[in-house]
Amino acid sequence: MPGIDQVLARAMGVPGVLGAGLTDWTSGLTLGTAGRAPHGDHDAAAADTAELVQAVARNATFDTAGGDAEPLEDLIVTTGRSYHLVRLVPTAFDSQTCLHLWLDRDRANLAIARLRLRELAAELAEG
Amino acid sequence: MASLSAPGPSRPAAGGRPGPLDRYAAERATGALRGPAGCVYLHQGAVYCVECPAAPGPGTRLAAAGRLAPECWRHAEEAAGADRQGARFLVGRGWLTRGELELCQLTAMLDAACFVLPPAPGSVSFAPGEAHWLGVVRPVGAGALLAAVARRRAQLDRLGAWAAADGAPVVPVPPAPGGRPLTGRQRWLLAHADGRRTPGQLAHALGRSAFLTVLEVRRLAAAGRVRLPAPAALPRRRPGAFRDGPRAADAPPGPTAWHLPDPGVLATADPDAALLVRLRTALEENL
Repeated sequence: MPGIDQVLARAMGVPGVLGAGLTDWTSGLTLGTAGRAPHGDHDAAAADTAELVQAVARNATFDTAGGDAEPLEDLIVTTGRSYHLVRLVPTAFDSQTCLHLWLDRDRANLAIARLRLRELAAELAEG
Repeated sequence: MASLSAPGPSRPAAGGRPGPLDRYAAERATGALRGPAGCVYLHQGAVYCVECPAAPGPGTRLAAAGRLAPECWRHAEEAAGADRQGARFLVGRGWLTRGELELCQLTAMLDAACFVLPPAPGSVSFAPGEAHWLGVVRPVGAGALLAAVARRRAQLDRLGAWAAADGAPVVPVPPAPGGRPLTGRQRWLLAHADGRRTPGQLAHALGRSAFLTVLEVRRLAAAGRVRLPAPAALPRRRPGAFRDGPRAADAPPGPTAWHLPDPGVLATADPDAALLVRLRTALEENL
Protein backbone atom coordinates (compact mmCIF):
# COMPACT_ATOMS: atom_id res chain seq x y z
CA MET A 1 0.00 0.00 0.00
CA PRO A 2 1.57 3.28 -1.08
CA GLY A 3 2.42 6.12 1.23
CA ILE A 4 2.86 9.78 0.34
CA ASP A 5 6.37 9.36 -1.09
CA GLN A 6 5.38 6.41 -3.28
CA VAL A 7 2.37 8.28 -4.68
CA LEU A 8 4.49 11.33 -5.45
CA ALA A 9 7.10 9.11 -7.16
CA ARG A 10 4.34 7.66 -9.31
CA ALA A 11 3.08 11.16 -10.07
CA MET A 12 6.49 11.84 -11.60
CA GLY A 13 5.62 9.19 -14.18
CA VAL A 14 2.72 11.23 -15.57
CA PRO A 15 3.69 12.32 -19.13
CA GLY A 16 4.97 15.91 -19.21
CA VAL A 17 5.23 16.31 -15.44
CA LEU A 18 7.80 18.77 -14.09
CA GLY A 19 7.00 18.50 -10.40
CA ALA A 20 4.45 17.23 -7.89
CA GLY A 21 3.41 18.03 -4.37
CA LEU A 22 1.03 17.14 -1.58
CA THR A 23 -0.19 20.10 0.47
CA ASP A 24 -2.57 20.82 3.32
CA TRP A 25 -4.76 23.41 1.63
CA THR A 26 -5.99 25.07 4.82
CA SER A 27 -2.47 26.12 5.81
CA GLY A 28 -0.15 25.66 2.84
CA LEU A 29 1.94 23.12 4.78
CA THR A 30 4.06 21.00 2.43
CA LEU A 31 3.44 17.32 3.17
CA GLY A 32 5.57 15.95 0.34
CA THR A 33 7.23 16.97 -2.92
CA ALA A 34 8.88 15.42 -5.97
CA GLY A 35 10.64 16.89 -8.98
CA ARG A 36 10.84 20.64 -9.53
CA ALA A 37 8.69 23.54 -8.33
CA PRO A 38 8.01 26.83 -10.14
CA HIS A 39 10.87 29.23 -9.31
CA GLY A 40 12.57 26.39 -7.44
CA ASP A 41 10.48 26.87 -4.30
CA HIS A 42 8.27 23.96 -3.26
CA ASP A 43 7.11 25.68 -0.05
CA ALA A 44 5.97 28.78 -1.94
CA ALA A 45 4.18 26.54 -4.45
CA ALA A 46 2.38 24.79 -1.58
CA ALA A 47 1.36 28.07 0.09
CA ASP A 48 0.11 29.53 -3.22
CA THR A 49 -1.74 26.34 -4.14
CA ALA A 50 -3.43 26.44 -0.73
CA GLU A 51 -4.64 29.99 -1.36
CA LEU A 52 -6.03 28.93 -4.73
CA VAL A 53 -8.00 26.05 -3.20
CA GLN A 54 -9.23 28.21 -0.30
CA ALA A 55 -10.55 30.83 -2.70
CA VAL A 56 -12.67 28.18 -4.39
CA ALA A 57 -13.62 26.14 -1.31
CA ARG A 58 -15.01 28.99 0.78
CA ASN A 59 -17.48 30.19 -1.84
CA ALA A 60 -20.81 28.53 -2.49
CA THR A 61 -20.65 29.41 -6.20
CA PHE A 62 -18.40 26.43 -6.92
CA ASP A 63 -20.19 24.11 -4.49
CA THR A 64 -22.52 22.74 -7.13
CA ALA A 65 -22.00 19.00 -6.89
CA GLY A 66 -24.99 18.34 -4.68
CA GLY A 67 -25.95 15.18 -2.83
CA ASP A 68 -23.17 12.77 -1.95
CA ALA A 69 -20.89 13.80 -4.81
CA GLU A 70 -17.46 15.20 -4.02
CA PRO A 71 -17.97 18.95 -3.52
CA LEU A 72 -14.69 19.82 -5.22
CA GLU A 73 -12.47 17.62 -7.41
CA ASP A 74 -9.96 19.45 -9.58
CA LEU A 75 -8.64 22.93 -10.14
CA ILE A 76 -6.88 23.55 -13.43
CA VAL A 77 -4.75 26.59 -14.24
CA THR A 78 -3.34 26.87 -17.74
CA THR A 79 -0.56 29.17 -18.84
CA GLY A 80 1.12 29.63 -22.22
CA ARG A 81 3.81 27.09 -21.33
CA SER A 82 2.41 24.88 -18.59
CA TYR A 83 -0.52 23.40 -16.74
CA HIS A 84 -1.09 23.41 -12.98
CA LEU A 85 -3.39 20.61 -11.97
CA VAL A 86 -4.73 20.37 -8.39
CA ARG A 87 -6.69 17.38 -7.09
CA LEU A 88 -8.36 17.36 -3.69
CA VAL A 89 -7.69 14.07 -1.92
CA PRO A 90 -10.93 12.43 -0.75
CA THR A 91 -10.61 10.58 2.56
CA ALA A 92 -13.04 8.66 4.73
CA PHE A 93 -11.92 10.77 7.70
CA ASP A 94 -11.73 14.56 7.85
CA SER A 95 -8.67 15.92 6.05
CA GLN A 96 -7.89 18.81 3.74
CA THR A 97 -5.07 17.85 1.42
CA CYS A 98 -4.50 18.24 -2.31
CA LEU A 99 -2.14 16.66 -4.80
CA HIS A 100 -0.80 19.04 -7.40
CA LEU A 101 1.16 18.62 -10.62
CA TRP A 102 3.14 21.13 -12.62
CA LEU A 103 3.16 20.02 -16.25
CA ASP A 104 5.01 21.04 -19.40
CA ARG A 105 2.25 22.01 -21.81
CA ASP A 106 4.13 20.83 -24.90
CA ARG A 107 4.57 17.31 -23.56
CA ALA A 108 1.52 16.83 -21.34
CA ASN A 109 -2.00 15.75 -22.17
CA LEU A 110 -4.33 17.49 -19.76
CA ALA A 111 -7.05 14.86 -19.92
CA ILE A 112 -4.64 11.99 -19.27
CA ALA A 113 -2.89 13.88 -16.49
CA ARG A 114 -6.22 14.58 -14.83
CA LEU A 115 -7.24 10.92 -14.92
CA ARG A 116 -3.84 9.79 -13.59
CA LEU A 117 -3.97 12.31 -10.77
CA ARG A 118 -7.45 11.13 -9.83
CA GLU A 119 -6.16 7.55 -9.61
CA LEU A 120 -3.17 8.62 -7.54
CA ALA A 121 -5.31 10.58 -5.08
CA ALA A 122 -7.57 7.56 -4.66
CA GLU A 123 -4.56 5.26 -4.09
CA LEU A 124 -3.21 7.58 -1.43
CA ALA A 125 -6.39 7.57 0.61
CA GLU A 126 -7.95 4.22 -0.14
CA GLY A 127 -8.77 2.06 2.83
CA MET B 1 -8.59 26.02 27.83
CA ALA B 2 -6.51 26.44 24.72
CA SER B 3 -7.63 29.23 22.48
CA LEU B 4 -7.09 30.02 18.85
CA SER B 5 -7.54 33.72 19.23
CA ALA B 6 -6.39 34.96 22.60
CA PRO B 7 -3.33 37.12 22.20
CA GLY B 8 -0.55 36.22 24.55
CA PRO B 9 3.14 36.06 25.08
CA SER B 10 3.30 32.95 22.94
CA ARG B 11 2.69 35.02 19.81
CA PRO B 12 5.98 36.08 18.34
CA ALA B 13 6.11 39.54 16.83
CA ALA B 14 6.57 39.73 13.08
CA GLY B 15 10.02 38.32 12.48
CA GLY B 16 10.00 37.61 16.20
CA ARG B 17 12.59 36.05 18.41
CA PRO B 18 12.97 32.29 18.30
CA GLY B 19 10.96 30.43 20.94
CA PRO B 20 11.59 27.13 22.71
CA LEU B 21 10.48 25.09 19.70
CA ASP B 22 12.93 26.85 17.38
CA ARG B 23 15.70 26.23 19.91
CA TYR B 24 15.05 22.48 20.30
CA ALA B 25 14.62 22.14 16.55
CA ALA B 26 17.97 23.87 15.96
CA GLU B 27 19.58 21.50 18.47
CA ARG B 28 18.03 18.56 16.54
CA ALA B 29 16.59 17.42 19.87
CA THR B 30 14.51 14.26 20.37
CA GLY B 31 11.88 14.25 23.09
CA ALA B 32 8.60 15.77 24.27
CA LEU B 33 8.05 19.51 24.70
CA ARG B 34 5.15 20.04 27.13
CA GLY B 35 3.33 23.33 27.48
CA PRO B 36 0.05 24.43 29.08
CA ALA B 37 -1.96 23.71 25.89
CA GLY B 38 -0.45 20.41 24.81
CA CYS B 39 2.61 18.39 23.91
CA VAL B 40 4.94 18.50 20.90
CA TYR B 41 7.01 15.42 20.08
CA LEU B 42 10.30 15.95 18.31
CA HIS B 43 12.58 13.54 16.50
CA GLN B 44 15.98 14.96 15.61
CA GLY B 45 14.52 18.45 15.64
CA ALA B 46 11.51 17.68 13.41
CA VAL B 47 7.95 17.57 14.77
CA TYR B 48 6.19 14.25 14.27
CA CYS B 49 3.27 14.46 16.69
CA VAL B 50 1.33 17.19 18.52
CA GLU B 51 -1.27 16.36 21.12
CA CYS B 52 -3.82 18.82 22.44
CA PRO B 53 -7.16 18.22 24.18
CA ALA B 54 -8.74 21.02 22.12
CA ALA B 55 -8.26 19.20 18.79
CA PRO B 56 -9.52 15.69 17.93
CA GLY B 57 -6.63 13.27 17.46
CA PRO B 58 -6.22 10.70 14.67
CA GLY B 59 -8.03 7.98 16.64
CA THR B 60 -11.07 10.21 17.21
CA ARG B 61 -11.17 11.19 13.53
CA LEU B 62 -10.93 7.60 12.31
CA ALA B 63 -13.59 6.44 14.77
CA ALA B 64 -16.00 9.27 13.93
CA ALA B 65 -15.66 8.43 10.22
CA GLY B 66 -16.38 4.77 10.93
CA ARG B 67 -12.96 3.92 9.48
CA LEU B 68 -11.37 2.33 12.56
CA ALA B 69 -13.06 1.24 15.78
CA PRO B 70 -11.81 2.99 18.94
CA GLU B 71 -10.88 -0.44 20.37
CA CYS B 72 -8.45 -0.99 17.51
CA TRP B 73 -6.78 2.36 18.19
CA ARG B 74 -6.49 1.55 21.89
CA HIS B 75 -5.22 -1.92 21.06
CA ALA B 76 -2.49 -0.39 18.89
CA GLU B 77 -1.51 1.91 21.73
CA GLU B 78 -1.19 -1.04 24.11
CA ALA B 79 0.67 -3.11 21.55
CA ALA B 80 3.07 -0.31 20.61
CA GLY B 81 5.42 -1.33 23.40
CA ALA B 82 8.59 0.26 24.60
CA ASP B 83 9.95 0.71 21.10
CA ARG B 84 6.97 2.94 20.16
CA GLN B 85 5.94 1.20 16.96
CA GLY B 86 2.17 1.88 17.04
CA ALA B 87 2.06 3.09 13.45
CA ARG B 88 3.82 -0.03 12.16
CA PHE B 89 1.35 -2.16 14.12
CA LEU B 90 -1.70 -0.35 12.65
CA VAL B 91 -0.42 -0.72 9.07
CA GLY B 92 0.95 -4.23 9.63
CA ARG B 93 -2.42 -5.46 10.83
CA GLY B 94 -3.99 -4.08 7.66
CA TRP B 95 -6.22 -1.76 9.67
CA LEU B 96 -4.96 1.32 7.84
CA THR B 97 -2.96 1.86 4.69
CA ARG B 98 0.32 3.71 4.95
CA GLY B 99 -1.19 6.66 3.02
CA GLU B 100 -4.25 6.86 5.26
CA LEU B 101 -2.20 6.84 8.43
CA GLU B 102 0.16 9.50 7.11
CA LEU B 103 -2.69 11.77 5.97
CA CYS B 104 -4.70 11.33 9.17
CA GLN B 105 -1.70 11.81 11.44
CA LEU B 106 -0.44 14.91 9.58
CA THR B 107 -3.89 16.49 9.48
CA ALA B 108 -4.51 15.86 13.19
CA MET B 109 -1.01 17.09 14.06
CA LEU B 110 -1.52 20.35 12.20
CA ASP B 111 -4.90 20.86 13.86
CA ALA B 112 -3.43 20.38 17.34
CA ALA B 113 -0.44 22.58 16.45
CA CYS B 114 -2.81 25.52 15.94
CA PHE B 115 -3.64 25.44 19.65
CA VAL B 116 -0.20 24.56 20.98
CA LEU B 117 2.28 26.48 18.82
CA PRO B 118 4.27 28.49 19.31
CA PRO B 119 4.86 27.54 22.95
CA ALA B 120 5.71 30.46 25.20
CA PRO B 121 9.13 30.58 26.80
CA GLY B 122 8.96 29.77 30.50
CA SER B 123 5.76 27.73 30.22
CA VAL B 124 7.29 24.58 28.77
CA SER B 125 9.27 21.61 29.98
CA PHE B 126 11.29 19.29 27.78
CA ALA B 127 11.57 15.56 28.43
CA PRO B 128 14.57 14.35 26.40
CA GLY B 129 14.09 11.00 24.73
CA GLU B 130 10.36 10.73 25.49
CA ALA B 131 8.52 9.39 22.44
CA HIS B 132 4.89 9.06 21.33
CA TRP B 133 3.49 5.55 21.09
CA LEU B 134 2.61 5.95 17.39
CA GLY B 135 6.26 6.46 16.55
CA VAL B 136 7.64 8.73 13.86
CA VAL B 137 5.11 8.62 11.02
CA ARG B 138 6.03 11.61 8.89
CA PRO B 139 7.96 14.41 10.57
CA VAL B 140 7.61 18.05 9.55
CA GLY B 141 10.19 20.80 9.99
CA ALA B 142 9.42 23.04 12.96
CA GLY B 143 9.79 26.21 10.89
CA ALA B 144 7.38 24.96 8.23
CA LEU B 145 4.85 23.94 10.88
CA LEU B 146 5.08 27.33 12.64
CA ALA B 147 4.56 29.09 9.29
CA ALA B 148 1.52 26.90 8.53
CA VAL B 149 0.02 27.70 11.95
CA ALA B 150 0.60 31.42 11.34
CA ARG B 151 -1.19 31.21 7.98
CA ARG B 152 -4.14 29.44 9.59
CA ARG B 153 -4.25 32.01 12.39
CA ALA B 154 -4.25 34.85 9.85
CA GLN B 155 -7.47 33.43 8.39
CA LEU B 156 -9.05 33.49 11.84
CA ASP B 157 -7.78 36.99 12.54
CA ARG B 158 -9.51 38.30 9.41
CA LEU B 159 -12.76 37.23 11.12
CA GLY B 160 -11.63 38.44 14.53
CA ALA B 161 -14.77 40.53 15.02
CA TRP B 162 -16.73 37.28 15.39
CA ALA B 163 -14.34 35.59 17.85
CA ALA B 164 -17.08 35.63 20.50
CA ALA B 165 -18.64 32.69 18.63
CA ASP B 166 -15.59 30.46 19.30
CA GLY B 167 -16.54 29.33 22.78
CA ALA B 168 -20.32 29.72 22.66
CA PRO B 169 -22.92 27.06 21.81
CA VAL B 170 -23.57 27.07 18.06
CA VAL B 171 -27.16 28.25 17.63
CA PRO B 172 -28.28 28.33 13.97
CA VAL B 173 -30.23 31.33 12.72
CA PRO B 174 -32.70 30.91 9.82
CA PRO B 175 -31.59 32.59 6.60
CA ALA B 176 -32.73 36.11 5.89
CA PRO B 177 -34.26 36.74 2.44
CA GLY B 178 -31.55 37.51 -0.08
CA GLY B 179 -28.80 36.06 2.11
CA ARG B 180 -25.77 34.42 0.51
CA PRO B 181 -25.99 30.66 0.02
CA LEU B 182 -23.84 28.46 2.24
CA THR B 183 -21.21 25.91 1.25
CA GLY B 184 -21.83 22.22 1.77
CA ARG B 185 -19.49 22.17 4.75
CA GLN B 186 -21.37 25.07 6.36
CA ARG B 187 -24.76 23.43 5.78
CA TRP B 188 -23.43 20.19 7.24
CA LEU B 189 -22.12 22.00 10.30
CA LEU B 190 -25.42 23.82 10.87
CA ALA B 191 -27.30 20.54 10.49
CA HIS B 192 -25.26 19.13 13.40
CA ALA B 193 -25.47 22.26 15.58
CA ASP B 194 -27.94 21.50 18.35
CA GLY B 195 -27.76 24.85 20.12
CA ARG B 196 -25.83 23.32 23.03
CA ARG B 197 -22.44 22.28 21.74
CA THR B 198 -19.62 24.75 21.16
CA PRO B 199 -17.48 24.62 18.00
CA GLY B 200 -14.81 22.68 19.90
CA GLN B 201 -17.35 20.13 21.19
CA LEU B 202 -18.82 19.75 17.69
CA ALA B 203 -15.35 19.13 16.25
CA HIS B 204 -14.71 16.36 18.80
CA ALA B 205 -18.12 14.76 18.41
CA LEU B 206 -17.92 14.77 14.61
CA GLY B 207 -14.19 14.00 14.35
CA ARG B 208 -13.61 17.17 12.36
CA SER B 209 -10.86 19.75 12.32
CA ALA B 210 -11.22 22.04 15.34
CA PHE B 211 -9.59 24.88 13.40
CA LEU B 212 -11.93 24.57 10.41
CA THR B 213 -14.97 24.25 12.67
CA VAL B 214 -14.07 27.47 14.49
CA LEU B 215 -13.32 29.20 11.18
CA GLU B 216 -16.63 28.11 9.62
CA VAL B 217 -18.59 29.13 12.72
CA ARG B 218 -16.98 32.58 12.56
CA ARG B 219 -17.93 32.80 8.86
CA LEU B 220 -21.47 31.71 9.70
CA ALA B 221 -21.64 34.30 12.48
CA ALA B 222 -20.42 36.95 10.04
CA ALA B 223 -23.15 35.88 7.60
CA GLY B 224 -25.76 36.11 10.36
CA ARG B 225 -26.44 32.37 10.29
CA VAL B 226 -25.17 31.66 13.80
CA ARG B 227 -26.26 33.58 16.87
CA LEU B 228 -23.54 35.48 18.65
CA PRO B 229 -23.60 35.37 22.44
CA ALA B 230 -24.93 38.55 24.01
CA PRO B 231 -22.09 40.86 24.96
CA ALA B 232 -21.52 41.52 28.61
CA ALA B 233 -23.98 44.22 29.68
CA LEU B 234 -22.72 47.76 30.04
CA PRO B 235 -22.43 48.80 33.67
CA ARG B 236 -25.54 50.66 34.77
CA ARG B 237 -25.53 53.36 37.38
CA ARG B 238 -27.86 55.96 38.68
CA PRO B 239 -27.51 59.24 36.83
CA GLY B 240 -24.94 61.34 38.55
CA ALA B 241 -23.49 58.46 40.55
CA PHE B 242 -19.74 58.53 40.94
CA ARG B 243 -16.82 56.33 41.85
CA ASP B 244 -14.07 57.10 44.28
CA GLY B 245 -11.48 57.05 41.55
CA PRO B 246 -10.00 54.87 38.85
CA ARG B 247 -9.74 51.22 39.75
CA ALA B 248 -6.26 50.17 40.79
CA ALA B 249 -4.51 47.82 38.38
CA ASP B 250 -4.14 45.16 41.06
CA ALA B 251 -7.66 45.54 42.44
CA PRO B 252 -9.54 42.24 42.70
CA PRO B 253 -12.14 41.78 39.98
CA GLY B 254 -15.70 42.46 40.98
CA PRO B 255 -18.53 44.90 40.54
CA THR B 256 -17.60 48.54 40.80
CA ALA B 257 -18.92 50.33 43.87
CA TRP B 258 -20.97 53.34 42.81
CA HIS B 259 -21.93 56.06 45.22
CA LEU B 260 -25.39 57.53 44.93
CA PRO B 261 -25.44 61.11 43.76
CA ASP B 262 -25.56 63.94 46.14
CA PRO B 263 -28.76 65.73 45.05
CA GLY B 264 -27.07 69.04 45.71
CA VAL B 265 -24.43 68.27 43.11
CA LEU B 266 -26.98 68.22 40.33
CA ALA B 267 -28.57 71.52 41.32
CA THR B 268 -26.76 74.45 39.81
CA ALA B 269 -27.60 77.97 38.83
CA ASP B 270 -25.20 77.91 35.87
CA PRO B 271 -27.41 77.25 32.80
CA ASP B 272 -24.51 75.72 30.86
CA ALA B 273 -23.67 73.29 33.67
CA ALA B 274 -27.36 72.45 34.14
CA LEU B 275 -27.64 71.64 30.44
CA LEU B 276 -24.58 69.41 30.60
CA VAL B 277 -25.95 67.59 33.68
CA ARG B 278 -29.30 67.01 31.95
CA LEU B 279 -27.49 65.79 28.84
CA ARG B 280 -25.32 63.42 30.86
CA THR B 281 -28.35 62.13 32.75
CA ALA B 282 -30.22 61.50 29.50
CA LEU B 283 -27.25 59.70 27.99
CA GLU B 284 -26.78 57.51 31.04
CA GLU B 285 -30.42 56.58 31.18
CA ASN B 286 -30.20 55.37 27.61
CA LEU B 287 -27.02 53.37 28.03
